[in-house]
Amino acid sequence: MTDAVPQTETNRARPKESFDFFHDERVRSVFYQLLTAGTFGWLIWYLISNTAHNLDVRGMKTGFGFLSTSAGFDVDFKLINHTPGVGTYGRIFLLGALNTLFVSFLAILISTGLGFFIGVLRLSNNWLVSKVALAFVEIFRNTPLLIQIVFWYIGVFSLLPAVKKTIDLSLGAEMMLLNNRGLYLATPIMGGLFWLTLVALGAALVVVVMLRRRARKLQERTGQQIKTLVPSLALMFLLPSAVFVLTGMPLSWDMPTLQGFNFAGGTSVPPAFLALLVSLSIYHAAQIAEAVRAGILSVNKGQHEAALSIGLKPGRIMSMVVIPQAMPAVVPPMISQWMNTVKNSSLAVAIGYADIVSLFMQTTLNQIGHAVELVGMTMAFYMFISLSISGLLNIYNKRVQLVER
Amino acid sequence: MQRRTRIVTFAAMGAVAIMGATVASAQSTLDIVKERGHLRCQVGPPSAGYYNLDSDGNWYGLDVSVCQAVAAAIFGDITKMEIQSVSSQARFTALANGESDMLSRTATHTLTRDTQLGIDFLSPNFYDGQGFTVRRDSGITSALELKGAKVCVTTGTTTELNLTDFSRTNELGISNVTFEDYNVRDDTYLNGGCDAVTGDKSSMAGNIASFPVPAEHMILPETLSKEPLASAVRHGDNQWADIVRWSIFALINAEELGITQANVEEMRGSSKDPNVLRMLGAEGNLNEGLGLKKDWAYNIIKSVGNYGEIYEAYMGHGELGIGIDRAGSLNALWTNGGLMYSPPMR
Amino acid sequence: MAIITATKTPDRAAPLGERSVIGWIHKNLFSSWFNAILTLLTGYLVFITVTGVFNWGFTDATFVAENRRACYDNSLTGACWAGVIDWLDNIFYGRYPRDQIWRINVGAVLLVLWMAPLWMGRVKGKVLVGTGVVVFYPFLAGYLFSGGDKGLFMQVMVSGAIVALIANTANMLTGVLWGEFLPDFVLRVLGKSTAPDKTQRNILLALLFVVFTAVFVWQLSWTVEFVSWTKWGGLFLTMVISGIGIASSLPGGILLALGRRSKLTVVRVLCVAFIEVFRSVPLITVLFMATTMFPLFMPEGFVLNKLVQVIIAVILFNACYMAETVRAGLQAIPKGQYEAAHTIGLGYWRTTGLIIMPQALKHMIPNIVGSFIGLLKDTTLVSIIGLFDILGMLRSISKDMPWLGLHKEPLIFGAFLFFVLCFSMSKYSRHLEVKLSAGDQH
Repeated sequence: MTDAVPQTETNRARPKESFDFFHDERVRSVFYQLLTAGTFGWLIWYLISNTAHNLDVRGMKTGFGFLSTSAGFDVDFKLINHTPGVGTYGRIFLLGALNTLFVSFLAILISTGLGFFIGVLRLSNNWLVSKVALAFVEIFRNTPLLIQIVFWYIGVFSLLPAVKKTIDLSLGAEMMLLNNRGLYLATPIMGGLFWLTLVALGAALVVVVMLRRRARKLQERTGQQIKTLVPSLALMFLLPSAVFVLTGMPLSWDMPTLQGFNFAGGTSVPPAFLALLVSLSIYHAAQIAEAVRAGILSVNKGQHEAALSIGLKPGRIMSMVVIPQAMPAVVPPMISQWMNTVKNSSLAVAIGYADIVSLFMQTTLNQIGHAVELVGMTMAFYMFISLSISGLLNIYNKRVQLVER
Repeated sequence: MQRRTRIVTFAAMGAVAIMGATVASAQSTLDIVKERGHLRCQVGPPSAGYYNLDSDGNWYGLDVSVCQAVAAAIFGDITKMEIQSVSSQARFTALANGESDMLSRTATHTLTRDTQLGIDFLSPNFYDGQGFTVRRDSGITSALELKGAKVCVTTGTTTELNLTDFSRTNELGISNVTFEDYNVRDDTYLNGGCDAVTGDKSSMAGNIASFPVPAEHMILPETLSKEPLASAVRHGDNQWADIVRWSIFALINAEELGITQANVEEMRGSSKDPNVLRMLGAEGNLNEGLGLKKDWAYNIIKSVGNYGEIYEAYMGHGELGIGIDRAGSLNALWTNGGLMYSPPMR
Repeated sequence: MAIITATKTPDRAAPLGERSVIGWIHKNLFSSWFNAILTLLTGYLVFITVTGVFNWGFTDATFVAENRRACYDNSLTGACWAGVIDWLDNIFYGRYPRDQIWRINVGAVLLVLWMAPLWMGRVKGKVLVGTGVVVFYPFLAGYLFSGGDKGLFMQVMVSGAIVALIANTANMLTGVLWGEFLPDFVLRVLGKSTAPDKTQRNILLALLFVVFTAVFVWQLSWTVEFVSWTKWGGLFLTMVISGIGIASSLPGGILLALGRRSKLTVVRVLCVAFIEVFRSVPLITVLFMATTMFPLFMPEGFVLNKLVQVIIAVILFNACYMAETVRAGLQAIPKGQYEAAHTIGLGYWRTTGLIIMPQALKHMIPNIVGSFIGLLKDTTLVSIIGLFDILGMLRSISKDMPWLGLHKEPLIFGAFLFFVLCFSMSKYSRHLEVKLSAGDQH
């Protein structure tokens, strides 16, 4: 960086002196930049040549050829098919990436919802509730996430019952079963004409949206309110069910049933996944709750009082007056928490959930080496995800700024 | 002008500093170790039987004793050794990079590892095999009855691969429940989270001993895999490999010849057996090929005992042992039908 | 017409809701039927949790036992704290030789002693105190912790650190007793308060030289035993890694943040790329990179030990986060400050160093404490790559033969310890924030 003396002044002073090459601002600017670029380039070259030499001397294999060789191990949680001995390491990468994204996505959804809920509870006028919310936030914010993850992992098992005493979350329908082996879900099997039901649902949705829009326009124009909630719900329920019955109920369920040792059928979710999901959700909910609280407190008190004075109910004040105004202050820290959620999901390696770090940087690295390639690919994956999320944040920030003007 | 010169000088100094760090490493590992004054021996995160920390912060275990044996062979002093505990991701690179001089940990010798990682495996100091632990009341008596069972397994090891192979071969449809930590694996099993645990039989024996009611559990007879747990050294320094290899052989040979920590002094003085005298350095010059002192093997036995003594202390029924019977296992001496066999020391 | 009474109307009592316990309960817990239900439900949940935890952790727990078996014999449903108690030395100091533990304690006490003046209102020269801690304490502590033969460099640095510590303590005393800055006090005692600047400076330098020589000669007479880094562990190691991490990432972060705001394209692009790369990946991948790839980057035969690898990784990672904190601090500085500095003819470095940074740093202190808390928590990740930090030690208890399988209790103990540390620090940083922003509103 150079002295930021206004350009014109230097120019005016210069003609009297001889041209001082080393004190000319532009020359120096170019010199510093060249120096930086040169040092950086040299450093990179130095590191690469060292690495190449070291790999060579130690007889360590390099290259991405391993991606197409088959991986001999199985993965206990997978969103796409993988057959041990057939699926390649490339597929393992994909599997790990999908698992990371899946658990992060769910954790983001849950933690955002929970975070808003707790953030609002923190400001509750019920003393006990606000203190419990405070304790929740402080406990989970001030202990390391890694300890929490390991703890939940053990905790979930100690608390859940054994297979014989499975809890049925669907209240007798046996479609969601929870025990210490994980969560079992019934999987829908769609029949031939089931798509018609989905179409009907879509159509109902469109109609409802149009209806509500018209109602709002009417209210804005005349002040007259139309109740849309009941008709909307009725439409959304009745139309698809009618189509469903008319097409002959083309849907069956693959139910989890106890066979021998285990439940067969349906979809099962391993406990490591549940533990990771719970711990990530709670940890980040505590962080988001703080952002929400700060955001709500940043809204001028007058807004609340004004809303009270025109007779809005407390619930509506929160949802229609305070929270919308708090959003610009809440969203940026919230999105950065989303980013942290994705990054923190890498701690899955401590409890063996098959995320990208655990599958790729641990199991694969242990089997075939190739440290440089594996680390590089994993880091590139995270970079891609994080940059996408921060792109999202930038778009939001731009929009908010425009609105403010 | 002055400023520019200063910058150039700094840049030059930086370059020289970094280049200067390029120490030529044509030195042999033995020389490096001697010059440093202690051996750097790599083990893993604590694992019952092999390498453990006690509450005073000291290491103990079978593999730790092997480290001590090598230190004794070189320095005649087991304290001239530094244990480095390295996680499983970094274990092979840490050795290949020279952070540690040798690896003495539960690493299974496989072809891929031997050829692709820049390291060489030596002779095994423990033969393990993978097995299953089940609850006695489950009525299972053979691993082949585990059809459709959930099996808890630690991740990232050959154990997981073997389980998958076993399940495929016998069409059992076993589902793996993977764990990073074997304590959590065992807890899950104890809480009924899986029907069986699989792991190296040695460590499972120890783990069962720590269960609330050990008698409720048993290890199935089948052995799924060969797990020769061997020490390893960096690829390319044969003299060093010889030193580590023969330090381990010395432990086994001593047991075969009946030399113990208690009688080694006496044996060196009064034994009639030329094998004993040669090994303990009272006769001949076996040490020369290794580049060690004459009493290298004597020092090993004097400071850590023979293989049998070490086994009894940490793997067998000693106070800190995990309680695996040695008789009839692969780890018995070859004279007792096991695989522990040292080439002749002559 | 005026209504005038000679006697004061008696005070009316405050409404019931404002003074009595029942009123408070009514207002804060049972103001509506909905609130009442909420209170009862929450109260019930709290009751169940608290009694459950209390029974497990205290009533049914075993505090003294030989091994885990003995714990089981005592109670199968309670915690076995005996294992944690047996391992306390490991948890706090790692494998540090037991007869040398005093060195860690001394190191900690010295740090407290050194930093104490920062909290004392009457003590002068706080900037110097702060700089002294950052520049000299690492050398003193570094030698105290690792020991061995001091090279000439270490001898000089250790002597310098001791001199700084003496000066610091003396300054604290003069500050507390007389509210005076140490040099002023010395000059006053010598009766040279009114001497010309040059004389004063020479006197002080001579005095410093005498003290330094004395200390240098004295420190030649002792050394402390060498302790290898492989013996460092427990909370001590956690503190060392996060302490070095935060202290070194601050200058790194400042440089990166300045680079990011630089007008030189190459510098800016490189800094932005560097910051964004490390901010977008999880710490665990950086640690894996450090342990598996750093050694490959080094020239053959040049070996970095694991601790150094980890510390470098933590610094790189944290510097990028710090850069963003610094950038936020810089953005808060009004443009007028830059312009004023230019007006009086200051160049870039002097503007930054003398005008901008001091103001920005002051605003950043709460955030720096915040990132220290974050780093302290994140440091537990080093246990995944095999260092025996506090979490590594806590998880090792379960592998020691007498305590085989004992792993819940250590984790809970660790969580509690972290909670106490982090919670008190975050409370303090919030207090600082309030205090600093109050200072701004004059």
